[in-house]
Amino acid sequence: MSVTETAWVTGDQIVEITQDVWGSFLSMDLEPVPDSGEPLGRKTLTGVVHVSGDWQGTVFVETTAEHAQAGAEAMFAAEAGSLSPEEVGDALGELTNMVGGNIKGLLPAPNKLSLPSVAGGESYTLRVPGALLVERVLLQGPAGPVRISLWRS
Amino acid sequence: MKILIVDDSKAMRMIVTRTLRQAGFDNHEYLEACDGAEGLGLVASDKPDLVLSDWNMPEVNGIEFLQRLRAEGNDVRFGFVTSESTDAMRALAAESGALFLIAKPFTADTFSEALAGVLVG
Repeated sequence: MSVTETAWVTGDQIVEITQDVWGSFLSMDLEPVPDSGEPLGRKTLTGVVHVSGDWQGTVFVETTAEHAQAGAEAMFAAEAGSLSPEEVGDALGELTNMVGGNIKGLLPAPNKLSLPSVAGGESYTLRVPGALLVERVLLQGPAGPVRISLWRS
Repeated sequence: MKILIVDDSKAMRMIVTRTLRQAGFDNHEYLEACDGAEGLGLVASDKPDLVLSDWNMPEVNGIEFLQRLRAEGNDVRFGFVTSESTDAMRALAAESGALFLIAKPFTADTFSEALAGVLVG
């Protein structure tokens, strides 16, 4: 499923970046698990950043609504259930920014990182038209799964 | 001392503040701005002693914020806290007048090392 091209970024590097971000800011340990590509849950949130320049593509950070909520509560040091949807989206957007920013650093330069976007709901699909999957990893943590995918435009 | 934290993410502004306190910088006044445009206003009105700014922000991004400050003759101490830390960005940050660039994710020790000599306790 992955494109054949120079491996600017490997799955192992994406795993390490994600583990570093989740460990540093959420105090959550994540472990890579096999990925069948199946939906992560009924309600999910997805953070998106685009890379443009000498390398063009997109990073998706997809997680369950429960995991996004738990992650936001950790970032805000907030009581369970106390955050608004906007605050949960803000937190996932920042996690996406950090994962995407660190991936961007491994890609051909010069390049730029977009501001993050966050989408959420049930049974939706996000696509970048014409993009090809480069790498996809699935990690499991105490609050649920998180899938990181890197697409080349 | 007054420290201005500039980031478009409210969650990250909280984390930076919390990490500064964990690093031992807990007896300072903290101000917040959501982008470089708001940051320029707060630097003018509140005259912070240190600015910690994200790079990638809407309206006025971090490097534009710093460059505008220096163009105005404002030499406020300035450091970046950003998820992007390529050699080129570090060089541009330094050329533009930043004292340091802290890469995300970071720890309290990262802040202690970067701010040693910039802030005292």
